[in-house]
This record gives sequence, C-alpha cells and structure tokens, in this order.
Amino acid sequence: MASPSSIEGLGASPQAAAEQRSQGGDSPRLLLCVPSLPDDVLSGLLADLATVFRRDEVLIASPDIEEPEFTPALPLTVFDGTRVRSDWVLTAGDYVAANELMQRHDATQVLLLGADVAALPVRAIREMADRIAAGGDLAVPSYSLGAHDGLVASALLYPLTRALFAANIRFPLPMDAAMSRRMAERMASVAQRQAASQADALLWPVAESAAAGFSARQVDSGAPIPSAPAASDFNTLFVTVAGGIFAEIEAKAQFWQRSRGPAAAMREPPAGQKNGGSGDIAEELPGMVEAFRLAHRNLQEIWALALPPQSLLALKKLSIAEPEAFTMGPALWARLVYDFALAFHLRSLNRGHLLGAFTPVYLAWVASTVRTVTDDATAAAHREETAAAFEREKPYLVARWRWPDRFNP
Amino acid sequence: MTILLQLERGIAAYTQSGKEWMMGQQIEFALRQSMHRVLVVLVSFLPGLLAFLVAVVLFAIVGAILGGLVRRILTMTRFDERLSRGTGSATPASLFEWTSNQPPSRLASRALFWLCTLVGVAIGISAFAASYSADNQMPIFLLPYLTHVIGAVLILFAGTVIARFLARSVLISAVNAQLQYARILSVGVKWLVMVLAAAMALDHLHIGGSIVSLAFGILFGGIVLTLSLAVGLGSRDLVSRSIERTMERPSGSSEVTSQRAADAQPRSRLRHF
Repeated sequence: MASPSSIEGLGASPQAAAEQRSQGGDSPRLLLCVPSLPDDVLSGLLADLATVFRRDEVLIASPDIEEPEFTPALPLTVFDGTRVRSDWVLTAGDYVAANELMQRHDATQVLLLGADVAALPVRAIREMADRIAAGGDLAVPSYSLGAHDGLVASALLYPLTRALFAANIRFPLPMDAAMSRRMAERMASVAQRQAASQADALLWPVAESAAAGFSARQVDSGAPIPSAPAASDFNTLFVTVAGGIFAEIEAKAQFWQRSRGPAAAMREPPAGQKNGGSGDIAEELPGMVEAFRLAHRNLQEIWALALPPQSLLALKKLSIAEPEAFTMGPALWARLVYDFALAFHLRSLNRGHLLGAFTPVYLAWVASTVRTVTDDATAAAHREETAAAFEREKPYLVARWRWPDRFNP
Repeated sequence: MTILLQLERGIAAYTQSGKEWMMGQQIEFALRQSMHRVLVVLVSFLPGLLAFLVAVVLFAIVGAILGGLVRRILTMTRFDERLSRGTGSATPASLFEWTSNQPPSRLASRALFWLCTLVGVAIGISAFAASYSADNQMPIFLLPYLTHVIGAVLILFAGTVIARFLARSVLISAVNAQLQYARILSVGVKWLVMVLAAAMALDHLHIGGSIVSLAFGILFGGIVLTLSLAVGLGSRDLVSRSIERTMERPSGSSEVTSQRAADAQPRSRLRHF
C-alpha cells in the first residue's frame, strides 16, 4: 500500500501524475469502479466524491470513457469490464474486470459501485473505503427498509446467510461492495470459473468472505433499497436469486455443516420511506391466499417430490386456513426453505421446476408477513424472528443433508 | 360255418390294425421331419443370436469403461459445479435437467454407456442378419422390423420425457401467472406431445398408414381447438389488458430501463427486491 505522504508528494499536476502512473511509479490506494452513467450524473458524482476523497488516493474507473482523463475533480480511467446487467446487483463479470484493473493499477482496495450510486451517499462510500483501509476485507452497504420492502432479502437471503455462514449482513447480494485486494482476487477467481458458462452469474461475496475466514462489515447507507431491474419479471428474478443462494449453499456445504456460533448481533438500519399504509396492502391478502390455494391444488405432486410429509401436511393446513388466520410460522418457513435447498442439492426434480414451485411458497410467506407486519417495528421484529428460526432449524438441514432418506417414509 | 365267419373277422381285424400301424408310422415320420426342420432352423439361428449377444455385451462393456472414464474426468474438472451455477432456462445446465435427477456428469456418462450399447445392438442386428444365407427358408421379415421397433420405442420414450417436462413447465408457469385453468393447460400440452409422439411411432412402424395421419390430424386439431377455446374464453380480460398495456407502453428502450421495478413486482405495494 502506498503511504498517503508518498502519494501526496507526487501530485504536482494531473499530467505528471498520469505519466508517473503510466510508468508504474505511483499507485492509487483505492480503485473506484462506477457503472455507466450519463455525463451530467458522472460529473456530479465526481464532484461529490471529490468532497470525501483526495485526488491522489483514488482512481475512478468508468466504462463511459475511451481513454484515461484527469479532470479537475478526480482522475478517471477506463473500466473495460463486461458489465452485463449494470442496472442491478454485481455479477461475475464485474468482479473479474475490477480485479484486472486493480492488478493493472496496483491498487490495494477496490470499490465496485452499482446502479444505485446516485442514491448512495458519498459519506457511505467513504465509510466503506475506510472499513477496508482499517483492515476489513469486505464492506457492503445496508439500506433503510420500509415495512414491506426487501422481502426476498428478509425471507431468504439474510436468514440463510446468517444461519449458515454466521455473517450478520442484512443485504448479502450487494449492489455495491468495497473489497481488499485479497478479497477481490478471491472473488475474481470464483467469478472466472463462472464467467465461462454465465457472465451474469450472481456471486455471494459475503458467503465467500465467510468461507475464506475474511472479515465482512456493513455500512448503514441510509439510502432506500434499490429497485429491481424493470426488464425482468418477478418470477425470473426470484428463480435467479433463489437458485443462486441454493447453489452457494450446495457449493459450501462442507463449510456450513461445521458447527459455529451464532452471528454477532446487528443493529437494524433505520426505517426507510413509507410505501403506502399497511391497510392498503392488507386488502391484497385474500387474493394472495387464493393464489396460494390455487398453487396448492395444482402443484401438490411437484411439491411431493421435494418436501417431506410433515411439510406437505403443514402446507395443506395452510391452504385451508382463512385469510384472517393465514400464518406461516418462522419455524415452518425455515424448514420449507431448507427442504427446497436440499431438493435443489439432490436434484429431486428439474431445478427450474423446483424453483418455480418454490415461488408460490415464498408468496405464501409474503401473505403471512403482510398479515402479521403492520409497521416498521413489527417488521424489524419479524425479520429478527425469521432469522432466529433459521438458526434454530439449522440442525434440521444438517441432518437432512447428511441423511436425506431418513425423513421420508 | 361259424369257424369261417370267425376267421374272416380275424383277418379283417388284422388288416385294420396293420393300417393303423402304418398311419402311426407316417405320423411319426412327419413329426420327426418337423422336429428336424425346427432343429436345423435353431442351429442356423443360434450363431446369429450368439453374435448379437456378443456384440451387445462387448459394446456395453466398452460403454461402461468409457462412461466411467468420462465421469471421472468430469468429476476432476468439477463439471457439475460449473454447470450448477446457472439455473435459468438458457444455461447449459438446463439441457441436462430436462428429466434427470442425477448430476450432469453421471448423466453424461450414462448417455455414453447407452450410446455404446445402442451401437452394439445395431452391429449385433447386422451380424444377426448376415448369418443368414440367401436360400435360408426361415422367415426373416421380422428382423428389419426390429430396428423399427427400437426406433419407435425411442420416439415414444423421448415423447414421454418431453411431454412430462413441458407439462410441468406449463403447469408451474401458469400457476405462477395465477391462471385458474393451469391444470387443463398442462394436461393439454402433455397430450399434444404424447399424441404427436404416438403418431410418429406408429408411422415409424408402418402401422395404420393414412388412418394414423388422419386420426392424428383430427385429434391434434381437436386438442388445439379445445385449448384455444379454454384459454380464449377463460382469459378474455387478461388478454385485453395485456394488449392495452402493450399499446400504452412507450417504445423507447431507455424509458423502459428507467421505469424501474414496475414490472418486477407482482403487487405494486410490495417490494420483493
């Protein structure tokens, strides 16, 4: 790592700095990769970043420029990565490209920013960089949540990451990530294995850092949770994300089967913007319950291939419950998720079909949550209760993973 | 007089028993001839059968060795792990997951094994056919038909597999789209494919001729018409809303990109991601 004093002594003029960088005489401490942005947004972002970063400690990599530039704000270089889906979370191609650029410029930290960069406060970006500079390996932002926001993360990603990888990170599938050099190299090596078959494969840096024994931190950004891309429909995105986390669980089975203590307690990020009253959403409950009943009528034979009799019985009871009593308990939900993760591993049926059949079960959890959660406080309590249930039910997953047939007659 | 009568009767009886004895002899001779012919045919049949069995067993062993080798190589190169990352329908993994509940490496090795076995069967059949001389009187017309039977069985197997896969895909997609007639749609698609496969198999076996084609056309058309009516009548509102949305949607792709999450959420007030 170049010391700040040595860096400061080199920056007499942008041109001189450019020459020296090209000769390898100077290396930025932090490489900051931004997504493709309109010119005015990019210049505004650079101006904002210049308020928290010195120009000699950071190098901005943008895919929108064709050759390195040294603007009055901050130096720019070309980010020639394959940003396949730059309007959502980071993918394999991003990590590979960032690592290549990091090696080329001999940087010691990299900060990959996603499409939400305009909403992410520069203070949070600075804090992420500081966490890495202080010896951390991974820093990801946490977003403020409304009562009915980020449901997939609350239902699936956060509880699974916390229970299986002992990492208390609220958003394990980040849009932005700050990484140390060794973390970036590890992610790039994982990404390179994926990129051959699928350049837009989702990677799980939190799980990866946990498996490697690296430290992962989150930074309260205060920004609202970024929206999903408009081009994809919910079913496609859900199948992609659920399949991604199940594949990660399968790949790291040896890691999470070893017993380890619960994850450290985490402070809930402050609540986000209100998105309509809970009363309005409660009006949708009968429709959601009816949708689950439709799924139960039609998908029983498919569920029977993936779920043990106890879980099927619980779903049957749920299907005859009235909307006012429609409750999927955290323990039942945890077991259902674990059952589907195991079926994914065992390939009990085609994985696309399995994940498609999992979608109505998730929506049943959403219906139950909508009925239970009325405000931000109850939402936070419900999230915590769900995550704790996943931790309590982990022995069930371990037992089924090791002896799958024991649970079937 | 009485003595003469008794003598006449005795001679008649003797003549009768002589005739019966001769008939028995003739029957016995005919049976022996038949048995001889059967044995001759069997003797000429057995070498061909033996050649067939040797070819099948030999190629099955080669297939098992090659399959094991391929599986070991794929395991070493972590083939399953690489493929399992992709779960979308466009990924290579989906090709392996059409029917199987086995890892792709095992599926590949099994496919190789069965390919070799099929090659063995084909070579065995040709060896079987070659063991017959042209003047052989055994009716061999069934032999080329055997290959058609194998082809028809393969067509039926593939048809069943594809029908099951498509039926499940349609069922799950329709349920996730909250269509009330999901089951009907799924069963309809399944029978469409099954009828198509059955018609192809019968055509391959040269059974039925134009009757099969005609029946297939009527049945296929009937199923399509039924599905069209079921979907058309059942989801008029859905279709009209869909057309309205298409008409109202702005054509610029940049505007679509900036219109975030609107389509990604099945219910507008809930944010899943």
